[in-house]
Amino acid sequence: MRFEFSRGSSQRGDRFFPSHQQSNDQVAAIDMQSNSSATTNKNQPQTSHTSTSRSSDSGEACGGGNKWASKLLSECARAISEKDSSKIHHLLWMLNELASPYGDCDQKLASYFLQALFCKATDSGQRCFKTLATVAEKSHSFDSARKLILKFQEVSPWTTFGHVASNGAILEALDGESKLHIIDISNTFCTQWPTLLEALATRNDETPRLKLTVVVTAGIVKSVMKEVGQRMEKFARLMGVPFEFNVISGLNHIGELTKEGLGVREDEAVAINCVGALRRVEVDERSSVIQLLRSLSPRVVTIVEEEADFSSSRYDFVRCFEECLRFYTLYFEMLEESFVPTSNERLMLERESSRNIVRVLACDEENGGGECERRERGIQWSGRLREAFSPVGFSDDVVDDVRALLKRYKSGWALVLAQGDNHESGIYLTWKEEPVVWASAWKP
Amino acid sequence: MTMAIDGAQLELYFSGYSSTTTTATISTENDHDRGGNWNGWSPMVDWEALSGPLDDFQDLIDSMMDDGALMNQSNRLTPDTSNSMSASGTVIVDEETSCGDDLKGLRLVHLLIAAAEALTGLNKNRDLARVILVRLKELVSPNDGTNMERLAAYFTDALQGLLEGTGGIHSNKHHSETNNGPYHHHHRDDPQQRHHQSDVLGAFQLLQDMSPYVKFGHFTANQAILEAVADDRRIHIVDYDIMEGIQWASLMQALVSRKGGRPTPHLRITALSRSGSSRRFIGTVQETGRRLVAFAASIGLPFSFHQCRLDSDETFRPSALKLVRGEALVMNCMLHLPHFSYRAPDSVTSFLSGAKTLNPRLLTMVEEEVGPIGDGGFVGRFMDSLHHYSAFYDSLEAGFPMQGLARGLVERVILGPRISWSLARIYRVRGEEACPWGVWLAAGGFQPVKVSFANHCQAKLLLGVFNDGYRVEEVASNRLVLGWKSRRLLSASIWTSPSDPDL
Repeated sequence: MRFEFSRGSSQRGDRFFPSHQQSNDQVAAIDMQSNSSATTNKNQPQTSHTSTSRSSDSGEACGGGNKWASKLLSECARAISEKDSSKIHHLLWMLNELASPYGDCDQKLASYFLQALFCKATDSGQRCFKTLATVAEKSHSFDSARKLILKFQEVSPWTTFGHVASNGAILEALDGESKLHIIDISNTFCTQWPTLLEALATRNDETPRLKLTVVVTAGIVKSVMKEVGQRMEKFARLMGVPFEFNVISGLNHIGELTKEGLGVREDEAVAINCVGALRRVEVDERSSVIQLLRSLSPRVVTIVEEEADFSSSRYDFVRCFEECLRFYTLYFEMLEESFVPTSNERLMLERESSRNIVRVLACDEENGGGECERRERGIQWSGRLREAFSPVGFSDDVVDDVRALLKRYKSGWALVLAQGDNHESGIYLTWKEEPVVWASAWKP
Repeated sequence: MTMAIDGAQLELYFSGYSSTTTTATISTENDHDRGGNWNGWSPMVDWEALSGPLDDFQDLIDSMMDDGALMNQSNRLTPDTSNSMSASGTVIVDEETSCGDDLKGLRLVHLLIAAAEALTGLNKNRDLARVILVRLKELVSPNDGTNMERLAAYFTDALQGLLEGTGGIHSNKHHSETNNGPYHHHHRDDPQQRHHQSDVLGAFQLLQDMSPYVKFGHFTANQAILEAVADDRRIHIVDYDIMEGIQWASLMQALVSRKGGRPTPHLRITALSRSGSSRRFIGTVQETGRRLVAFAASIGLPFSFHQCRLDSDETFRPSALKLVRGEALVMNCMLHLPHFSYRAPDSVTSFLSGAKTLNPRLLTMVEEEVGPIGDGGFVGRFMDSLHHYSAFYDSLEAGFPMQGLARGLVERVILGPRISWSLARIYRVRGEEACPWGVWLAAGGFQPVKVSFANHCQAKLLLGVFNDGYRVEEVASNRLVLGWKSRRLLSASIWTSPSDPDL
């Protein structure tokens, strides 16, 4: 498929997706991001929607309200909320019999949600989550994390969608500045930045200096950031971009950030990039965190979040449960259709989800630790952000770039612009016409 | 009030049967009274409808929950450190202990009931039923494991048939034409496996040798018949379902050796035969007739044999019978003996209604004894059926614990298909009241005929040859029930028509 080249300066659309002509060094560094290798396996036009085979003989698609797993799970959630002890016992038992993390979609959802329900019923969510997190951290390494991210970005635009949109907005907002400071509050292992660095390097005008300060909160990510940093520095050198890299990982939560702590200087043009960051802030602190971001005087703030609402229903277990089930059913289905059936990466992503599910459904609020995971929808975030910022629409160029990106994946993905009324802003990534990821840009 | 035992009547009918002697091995251990504690084993049934204490089970589940053992019972979770399912200290259930067996049995029962619920309950969910059955199939096999596991295999198969709609048993479809046992699609040997004649005969033989079920029905009926026609010179028996006719061999012998100087009576047997059914394995009614004629000749009993053909709808027309003035008419209705084919209720009704118009001297009825159902609907009857056949299996095992292969054959050829039919019947009539035929007869005006002391004693003696877990109860003046431990299994009742002046 040919990309649509963007209008205006340079061939930015092309630059986001390095072709095979690049040198090995660049490939080595860029292999942290998507689409580094030959593009042949990704160009599956709309015609072939290959879905992975299901282990159940009927071959029905998973998700949807008629499936046994969602019915049992919902019933169990209701039973827990009603404290119907014998029903809880029976349903947990039945789910345990039928669930499997290695089975088909239904069985997996049953397995992971069962875990959360069990924890909820036995008040052991905290303990379970800690165990799962510890185990996951121990088994992660730079290599495994890198492999995971790469593979995921290769088969699905779930993460790259936000990267492309945000980079576009940042580059446009900081155009003409000579000293850039990007504050990256995310856990993406810096996979977003190589293309941005490339874009900076290929400008006709003088290449600006870039300082990248990464704020990480997930334990898994912390341990590998050193190596990530080294690679980023090496890549920047190759690109010829004056580069400074810092990691901030000692925080308990984002609210502790300060201008001095981040090393923000007066002569810098600041961009704040939040990918999956706001949902990790405790719900009651979200307003103050947004004010904090405002206090850093950024030129632009880019926000990427998954489209689900676990926040407004957080005191209503059943409602929260249903929304959680809805979202993760979509997610698991997407994973199943994107990866090959035997994919280990998919399994790791599913396990990550299982930790989040336990966290949302079975852990109490007052926890801290930056692992909140209570997502909100784009429209809800928009409402919050408007207290300190005003929205910046994505330019046509950026939207075109994102559409070009989506064409490189299996069919089912689309871009939808926010309505604009109801204070909505930004763009949505949709999968099978369901919005799943939201990206937006803001200025003071 | 004791009756003097008439020695002439206290004859045992063993001699007419197979030559192999049955030796009853009394099992000293293995007294799991699986028949007893069913009601406490499922948390999900509406307990208003089915009585039983819930506490034992709740404790069990509670302890499972606390230990986290619930999470570890699934043996498909690999010990994978990167996603430990245990939230707390875990207890791994050692499935090799008998405790493990019981737990596994418990699990299977729950899964079966859950599947039955999903199939028909208030929250019908065929998808869930399908998934549960898949899980069950992973856990059970018709050939290996404990009684419960093998039984569960047959029940799983039966439920699968109901789910797919293929296991439906049509009223006049014959035994061998239907779903022949579990996993007939998955059977390793022959996917089209049908029961060979030798298998069926062998299984029937074994069933008779290993258990008193067949003989109980026959002997009780025969004894009552003998007593009722003691002074008659002409006897006419109309047999609803003669099968291989073995019931009559011993009766004929008893008639020939009647003491007290009475002349040997003339016996006529009319067997109902159904059109269109090819009884490939038991042989046709004609063959049965020929056999009986030859046997009668060999013992010097005046005998004639007739057939009364039924239409395809199995309506019994009494006018089709050839009756002779002065003969004592006996209607014999053996239903539900383990090796019998399924007979539709309409057919039985037709026979019994017709019987009433003939004013028979005696009507003998042998039928399956079902437990109290209440409002349990399909699930309740399903559970009862599970209980019923579990007792059956246990009774066979208790007598012959080492003869697993033999029991397996009986299970495969006889009991397995019975289970399918039972469930299909229960499924079809769910929502309707299930009525034992004895109740129907009483409501229809038939009069009970007391089971004689001699008859009762004979039954006890018969059971004494087998395992002492068998019981015979006189639940009504005209009814004996054979049971295994606390579970009643087979009922034999004696009736006469209301206007018969002799009784």
